[in-house]
Amino acid sequence: MGKNVLSVKGVYKNFFGKPAVENLSFNVQGGETFGLLGPNGAGKTTAMRMIMNIIVPDEGEILLNDEPRKSLKTNRFGYLPEERGLYPGAIVLEMLTYFGTLNNLSRRKAEVEAIRYLDRLGMVEYTDSRINQLSKGMQQKIQFIAAFLHDPDVLILDEPFTGLDPINQIVLREMLQEYKQKKRILIISTHQMEQAENICDHICLINQSRVILNGRLSAIKKKNRENAYVVESDSSLEFMNSFPEINILEAGNTSYKFTLKDDKMAVSGLLKKIESQADIKKLEVVEPSLHDIFIKKIQEQSKDKE
Amino acid sequence: MKNLFRIARWEFITRFRSRSFLFNTFISPLLFTAVITLPILFFSYTPEVSTKLVGVIDLSGKDLAKDLQKRLNRKYRLENSSREYVILKVSVNNSQPYKEVLAEYRDAVHYRDSVTMVYNRIKEQRTEYYKNTHIPNREYFLKTSYETLQTSREEKELAEIELEGYKTALDSMYKFEAQKTADSLLASDVLNTYLLFPDDFTSRGILEYHSKNPGDLRETERFEKILQSIIIEKRILEDNVGRPKVKKWLSPIKIQKYQLFPDGQTEWNFYAQFYGPLIGVFLLFMAVFTSGGYLFSSVLLEKSNRVIEVLLSYASSRQLMGGKILGLGFLGLVQVLTWLTVAALLAVSNIIPVSKINYMNFTNALYFLIYFSLGYLFYGAIFITIGSISSNEYDAQQINQMLRTIAIFPVLLSLVVLAEPNADWIRVLSWIPFLTPSFMIMRIPLSGIPITGDIYLTIIIMLVSIVLVILIAGRMFRAATLMQGKRPAFSEIMHWIRVK
Repeated sequence: MGKNVLSVKGVYKNFFGKPAVENLSFNVQGGETFGLLGPNGAGKTTAMRMIMNIIVPDEGEILLNDEPRKSLKTNRFGYLPEERGLYPGAIVLEMLTYFGTLNNLSRRKAEVEAIRYLDRLGMVEYTDSRINQLSKGMQQKIQFIAAFLHDPDVLILDEPFTGLDPINQIVLREMLQEYKQKKRILIISTHQMEQAENICDHICLINQSRVILNGRLSAIKKKNRENAYVVESDSSLEFMNSFPEINILEAGNTSYKFTLKDDKMAVSGLLKKIESQADIKKLEVVEPSLHDIFIKKIQEQSKDKE
Repeated sequence: MKNLFRIARWEFITRFRSRSFLFNTFISPLLFTAVITLPILFFSYTPEVSTKLVGVIDLSGKDLAKDLQKRLNRKYRLENSSREYVILKVSVNNSQPYKEVLAEYRDAVHYRDSVTMVYNRIKEQRTEYYKNTHIPNREYFLKTSYETLQTSREEKELAEIELEGYKTALDSMYKFEAQKTADSLLASDVLNTYLLFPDDFTSRGILEYHSKNPGDLRETERFEKILQSIIIEKRILEDNVGRPKVKKWLSPIKIQKYQLFPDGQTEWNFYAQFYGPLIGVFLLFMAVFTSGGYLFSSVLLEKSNRVIEVLLSYASSRQLMGGKILGLGFLGLVQVLTWLTVAALLAVSNIIPVSKINYMNFTNALYFLIYFSLGYLFYGAIFITIGSISSNEYDAQQINQMLRTIAIFPVLLSLVVLAEPNADWIRVLSWIPFLTPSFMIMRIPLSGIPITGDIYLTIIIMLVSIVLVILIAGRMFRAATLMQGKRPAFSEIMHWIRVK
């Protein structure tokens, strides 16, 4: 299998004259975890529904390996919607088999795969239970299985981790890791920035129907780096207050956070200056958190609009 | 296309195994049939459990009790062939006040008798003296006895007046005491009822019916009929007409009804002709609304618990809608065929006398299937539309209820349809797609003449309406099911219908 690429190109979608998505464009490479981020109502769900072909864009196109979405079979896509929905009265295995067959699996194959996944998620004893007898977390696992079962080329998960306990979060992460290794396309949408920071390789931030940030996570972080450093020592670092070349952001007794006034200045000279007066125990280049970047960007955009 | 069948299979199997399907297929038709037929059975066929004691107080002096008992015996028998009614003449002989009045009455009778005797004797003697002119002192005797005669006559007349008074007292005492006895017997449930015939019963024809439950129409009707013929017979007999003649005149009549069909006449039976089509309409309604209701709740459920989002990502909305209609339609067919099989089994085993009910034939079974399918598709598409635009179950159920009311409305007119299945206004009503299946299912068996023209016309009307509602449903389904939380405005609905 060659390299998978999912491209969203200049997509517009209006609902009753209100734009839900405007000029949405991004590429998702196979083998990377793509994070689709944004506040509530930004247009994430609309974007995902368009990729799933549940709704059709008004303008623009969605391509998988240069083939238009419309001409692709649905069974190459797997979807976990944000709002979890299952048939309350249905029996777990029967329902999973039904979803599997809808994606062109044979009944037998669907059954086998469903049991395999149930076993992996530690739920094999619930094979013949009814959905409404399961706890919420278990129901969510059933939904994962429904999305994974037919081994799709494109997997879209909306808020996959909410409602899962830490153990199951790890299991899910392992499953996603395996999936990634097959160089398939994985799109995750979430509000939880820490979550996104941990698992995404590439992020796309949408706000008010538009893309405001799109790129590899490392590049974005680099670009938004504040050039801040933290030094820690056993003895007092108060003498740093008199350094003219730095701006002090946070001053503790033995720990100082600061930025360099001149970006081009080398940090090594400064370090020597500190070292002459105190032992440096720890030096850290402060990475901006995705959370901070998210808030900063959204605030910037609202300011621009004003 | 494969997904359409997979969806159909899923919908069919999950509903087929549900308890509600079992209930709607077997229990509710049984219940309905029971509910509408039981009152008939109670009213006309229930065998009486025990003999009823009917008291009679007869002041008319015509000995009506004997005649009444004779005729009741002839007509009404219990299952074990013993009498259903036993007539009991209410006796007052043990009542003290009556005894006293009776004793006084008897004294008065004695007194009158003795006075009369005296008077008669004097009269006889005087007659003898008149005839025999040779008796000495004849003149003198005639003269003196005349005065005695006058006095005794006066005495006699007075005694008779007195006796009349005693008799009236006795009669009213008899009525009073008899009624007192009868009332106490009625109160202690010895008697079921008692009848009181006043002395002028034969002329005025009014009697009293005393009972704890005078609302028992069936029983009063029986007594009325029998006593009517008894009194007529008595009146005629009083005019010196021979008994055999009276019997001949009074022999009862019975109406037998026949219905004209193109292939001959068939004896008409109200229960079979009326309740059969009524049960038919009910079954049709049940079938349409069982499957249609499932269609409705299926859409509503998937919309409210958001399974729809997963389903729409795996299958197109057309497949989803088509699969549902197909699967649940098949479910409805299974239900209808189950009923037809049961009906056929009952017919073969002669529990239903098919030979007497001429609408029970294969052509009409086919019409039943056709109108079921049309009704199901029509209402089903409407249900899908409502299910997809409803924002909550409560709203949706209300519309559902309204549709049911509309669909069952023809049943309210069933008696009119029975009388005039092909009246113009009923024909026009049966062209309204909402009402077509129900009306046609009643009209086809009830109509004496074939209504093939109307059948074709209504089928075409239904097909056109179905195409229309399915087109609308298809457009609404996709757009509206993804919405949630809010009820769409009318303008939005129109927008969905217009925009592809």
